[in-house]
Amino acid sequence: MTGTYATVITVVSLLFAGWALICAATNRRPTLLLFAAAVLLEALLLGFAVGGVVQMAGTARHFARAEFVGYLLGALVIPPLAFYWARGERSRSGTLVIALAFLITPIMVLRVQQVWVGSVG
Amino acid sequence: MVDPGLTDSGARHTPAPTGQGFGRVLVAVYGIFALAATSRSAVQLATKFDEAPLAYLLSAFAAIVYIVATVSLARGDATSRRLATVAISIELIGVLIVGAASELLPSDFHQATVWTGFGSGYGFVPLVLPFVGLWWLRHTR
Repeated sequence: MTGTYATVITVVSLLFAGWALICAATNRRPTLLLFAAAVLLEALLLGFAVGGVVQMAGTARHFARAEFVGYLLGALVIPPLAFYWARGERSRSGTLVIALAFLITPIMVLRVQQVWVGSVG
Repeated sequence: MVDPGLTDSGARHTPAPTGQGFGRVLVAVYGIFALAATSRSAVQLATKFDEAPLAYLLSAFAAIVYIVATVSLARGDATSRRLATVAISIELIGVLIVGAASELLPSDFHQATVWTGFGSGYGFVPLVLPFVGLWWLRHTR
């Protein structure tokens, strides 16, 4: 569960986070574009989860599988929840909620990788 | 200005909703911890309960506290507000006691809960969060 795909998600998510934080700092409510970014991130995470489970099934190596799937699923639910929760707030707080999701995602991806290598769990 | 609490017999002063404005963000942060604590304790209880039952039950307890705080802050009506105050107070006591206990008896708390080491595994956010939560409940009263 290493490699470029995880790095891509991390970089994209951090770029989105920076953008969302700038929007929040300049007092902007969440825009359609910001919601679209959350959808795009979710699509990337979906690929990550599928790829992760496939890789997990393809190895007999011993590692914390429950944690691994837990972090994959955890990463997957964050953008939709943020989307839903930000939608009800037409102020910069809504923008901040989306920014939070973008900030948390790289941590989840990192955890997935750590569990895969076996340094936690 | 007439004190809104004294005007009508039935219509008491209504507090501001706790799930809007800054509260939106606060609920989101609580939600993240509800998610983190719940999944952590689900994994612990399912896969290695026998290793440290007390710590893992504590983990599950923390998860429930975070879920209650998240939902009640998001709802924000009078009952939810009371429930949120109770949950966040328990959260504060929990993080202080578990934090202190994990410093004094490190062998019993090997990174087992979100409150271990005053939440050091989570950037000390678990320690700061209950203070912010209680402040927010007062602020919106």
